Amino acid sequence: MTVLFYIAGAVAVIATGMVITRRKAIHALLYLVVSFLALALVFYVLGAPFVAALEVIVYAGAIMVLFLFALMLIDAGRAEEARERDWMRPRAWIVPSVLSAALLAEVVYLLARGGVPGRTAAGAAAAGGAAGVGGAAGEAAAQVKAVGIALFGPYLLGVELASILLLAGLVAAHHLTVDLDSEDGETAGAADSGAPGRTRQKGGRP
Amino acid sequence: MGLTLSAAAGGATHAAGAGAAGTGAVTGILTELEQQFPGVDFVRQETKDGIPTAWIGREALVPVLRHLERGVDGPFRTLYDLAGMDERVRANRDGLPAADFSVVYHLRSYDRNADVRLKVPLAGDRVSVPTVTGLWPSADWYERELWDMFGIGVDGHPDLRRILMPPWWEGHPLRKDHPDRATEMGTFQLPPDDDLLYQEALEADPAQDARTVVLNVGPQHPGTHGPVRIILTLRDELIVDAVPDIGFHHRGAEKIGERQTWHTYIPYTDRVDYLGGVLNNLPYVLSVERLAGTEVPPRAQVIRVMLAELFRISSHLVFYGTFAQDLGAMTPVFYTFEDRERLMAIIEAITGGRMHPSWFRIGGVSQDLPAGWEQMVRDFLDYLPPRLREYDRLVMQSRVVKARTVGIGEIDKDTAIDRGITGPNLRACGFEWDLRKKRPYSGYDRFEFDIPTAARGDCYGRVAVRVEEIRQSLRIIRQCVDQMPSGPHKSEQPLAAPPSHDRMLHDIETLIDHFLGVSWGPVVPPGEAICPTESSKGDYGYYLVSDGNVTSYRTRIRTPSFPHLQALPLLCRGLEVPDLIAILGSIDFVMGDVDR
Amino acid sequence: MPDTAWHIIEVVVMLLLPLLMAGGLTVVERRLLGQLQDRYGPNRVGVMGEMQVLADAVKLLGKEDWIPPFADRPVFVAAPAIILMSVLASFAVIPLTSGFAVADLNVGLLFFLAMSSLGVYSVALAGWSSRSKYPLLGGLRAAAQLLGYEVFMGMSLLGVVMMAGSFDLSTIVEGQRGLWYVGPQFVGFVVFFIAGLAETRRTPFDLPEAESELVAGYHAEYSAMKFGIFYVGEYLGITLVSALMTVLFFGGWLGPILPGWTWFLLKTSILILVVIVVRAALPRVRYDQLMSFGWKVMLPLTLINLLVTAAVILAT
Repeated sequence: MTVLFYIAGAVAVIATGMVITRRKAIHALLYLVVSFLALALVFYVLGAPFVAALEVIVYAGAIMVLFLFALMLIDAGRAEEARERDWMRPRAWIVPSVLSAALLAEVVYLLARGGVPGRTAAGAAAAGGAAGVGGAAGEAAAQVKAVGIALFGPYLLGVELASILLLAGLVAAHHLTVDLDSEDGETAGAADSGAPGRTRQKGGRP
Repeated sequence: MGLTLSAAAGGATHAAGAGAAGTGAVTGILTELEQQFPGVDFVRQETKDGIPTAWIGREALVPVLRHLERGVDGPFRTLYDLAGMDERVRANRDGLPAADFSVVYHLRSYDRNADVRLKVPLAGDRVSVPTVTGLWPSADWYERELWDMFGIGVDGHPDLRRILMPPWWEGHPLRKDHPDRATEMGTFQLPPDDDLLYQEALEADPAQDARTVVLNVGPQHPGTHGPVRIILTLRDELIVDAVPDIGFHHRGAEKIGERQTWHTYIPYTDRVDYLGGVLNNLPYVLSVERLAGTEVPPRAQVIRVMLAELFRISSHLVFYGTFAQDLGAMTPVFYTFEDRERLMAIIEAITGGRMHPSWFRIGGVSQDLPAGWEQMVRDFLDYLPPRLREYDRLVMQSRVVKARTVGIGEIDKDTAIDRGITGPNLRACGFEWDLRKKRPYSGYDRFEFDIPTAARGDCYGRVAVRVEEIRQSLRIIRQCVDQMPSGPHKSEQPLAAPPSHDRMLHDIETLIDHFLGVSWGPVVPPGEAICPTESSKGDYGYYLVSDGNVTSYRTRIRTPSFPHLQALPLLCRGLEVPDLIAILGSIDFVMGDVDR
Repeated sequence: MPDTAWHIIEVVVMLLLPLLMAGGLTVVERRLLGQLQDRYGPNRVGVMGEMQVLADAVKLLGKEDWIPPFADRPVFVAAPAIILMSVLASFAVIPLTSGFAVADLNVGLLFFLAMSSLGVYSVALAGWSSRSKYPLLGGLRAAAQLLGYEVFMGMSLLGVVMMAGSFDLSTIVEGQRGLWYVGPQFVGFVVFFIAGLAETRRTPFDLPEAESELVAGYHAEYSAMKFGIFYVGEYLGITLVSALMTVLFFGGWLGPILPGWTWFLLKTSILILVVIVVRAALPRVRYDQLMSFGWKVMLPLTLINLLVTAAVILAT
């Protein structure tokens, strides 16, 4: 299990590195997906299968697909690649790298000292951590339940706030797309001079 | 043989048979015009189809046409046909204005149920006519064809490019001095540079902005039913504009008509609407018969009607299945082709051919019906209706089909008439008009049938009309079987048929006659005629000009698919790509019919 | 050690069985469609045409494996692999019979959802990497369609999960000893079936490949075995969805007299045939109709189903 953990961890780190250095956006995105999958495996090995599954379903399976969808619509050509290549010059990346390295050093130091201090019980439950390390099936079910109880118990307010935020985002997104569509309708209508075809509004989008 | 001769008795009776297009209206509209435009010189011409025809000067053209289009009672709202003609080597031109070229405007009024034909003589260096696209939007492609085929310029045309020939073509094919065989044109070569040139000629304008996509549908695309190219401009998968690019199927059928004898051109007609079989022969032989004044015996007429209706069913069955397939339903096409196969067995038994039987002859049909035909046809008449009921459940009543077709590609009656749309597509707009009823030809007035219509002029309506037409055709065929008259199956007129074998063996004169008729071909007296017919696709006619020769001087094929495809952009703007495919399927065009 | 040996057998069976079924399915589908459409279908190779699979495989392997010069090579090659991997991986959690599953995961159902959500990449990337307009349109349609229908697919299963109290597929099957979940969860089953058709891109939801509109959609530029893999991937998808419906709604291996695995295979096969018959019967819907059907009909339906299920569970 430990070997698996390290392999997955290494894959995640390397894939993330590739995300930054790829010139084509879609290639970078693919490495990001790989990175998420590796992270999911790390979660699983750490004994949190529920979180692992959610990681894949939500991040790799849904959010990244939306990114992909957007990227497919934007046909980034050679100019974009040249700009990306420009960013690869040391001048562009050396300062952020040094800063990140400092952070990395801190993390390594903390880990070497024997774990992160001050983990709260609730945090552990949310991460699906402590109880489930190497747990049996029953315990895993309990884990899921624990996550659920944590979400709808102590963190109810947080969940509700988040959902309100998301709802607002949804309404805003809908508003934006509807505006665009109606503009289209006008221009199309002007162009076709009495054409009987009507401009239909697209059905709901995710 | 002057043109005065052409007002022969035969021609007149046929004109009368053509309904109101003849007699009463003949003088009517031209007299009206003469009163309206006293300064304009209308040179009347007698034609054998009885359609009032007059030559007018180039300057008077647009005012007269505008008056016809909107000024008169029962306006001529449809530009039925617009075609050119090379007059330079025409011998029989007595009484006609001098001209190197002429342009024929064939107009139709549905209110009057009458046609009128105006001709413009063109001569000298500047052969051009003013555009009439402002009066009839459908003139667009016809005028481009005029330019392409004759090099007759069209002043004021918005987009005067070649249409059937590729842009790099040299010369104008329907001019008499253009070669009509590849063997007259030197060895064909395709150097790489030229190939590049040809490829570049196919390029379309790139997208204007990031959200606009230009999508090339065809010329090889499973949804287009033949080699047609549609350049789509999309904005978020919505069609902003669609520009059909045709000519990939052009085979010069009109040019071939000037080379083949009257009889030997019949097989070429089969290939024009290649799903229509004898429905193609019919308008051609009817036009020739009008020119030659041939009387068709009753049995031949009924056989023709029966075969024509069988082929109408065949064509509609192909349409039905492929339309469903365009919507993504894979099963109906196999069913309808199975039915068509049974129908083809009948066709094969009667004619010996399948898709292109070339079976009609001038003055009748090729052979008499074979023994046992009646049972075969009756079996089919009993076989098809239950199958049609099944397809109704499978296709017409399917909720997905309705969701895909109802309200899609709508066109209203008035626009359809302006655009020259005919046949089932026009009836789908709720306009009850069928040439078989309104101007009965080939004895259609003796049959009982209904004209199916739909209300909205959408894809669903166009399919529904055709499905009902299959049932009506079955009705007609049943009447044909029940009332098949006896008698000869073709006319005995010398122009139509060679002398009988027995007589030929008896005297040398008849033998010579037979020899000439078979090897050289009959000489059809000079004249002009068209006999529009109701084909499976729409209004279909051969405008034939005879110069007293064994071949036609000018063969103009007025096909229904040409204006139908031209109206495509109108139907699909603002819709999506899948709707375009549904519309393409529903207007039921055949590229052979469009490009000829 | 016998444990390990048993496990290896499990892995081999669960890898080969779906592949065999998918391969056989290509012929079964064509034959069955042939019967439904008044024609024969492939019947020349082998006794009843069953060797057509081999003939096709040989043909596909023998064809030139062409990659368009304008394509994005690495992604173009990776795309067909992704579909095969994601679908095959999902079979790991399907219990063939009691105790016979490669991975008796306690989050088995979530694992399936996770894997099926990865399948989107294959289609979308195939469309994108072809660098050609029709595939791109197909890929875009696929991304939107699969993403949307994944939502209903997951939600339609939650009713079953609530009733069984577990994400573990074996537990879910055991929970159906008295009554198959297709009864109480009929709405869930219908939604899952429809979403399954959409996820496997089958008629009437085959918009990403829509041959009459987009020619072949996302795999228009693919040839030879890469195309073959998409083909196999589609049939694997059908097999997977049918197997899952068997497990979730039709009591998996449960059944009298016969051994469990036969029941499982029998039920799965019947469901596969239903999927094929649907293809013969229906035309294709339009993109916007698909989306509005999903969000305006399927989503409310699953939500109501969830609500009712929860209420019933709470009340009893």
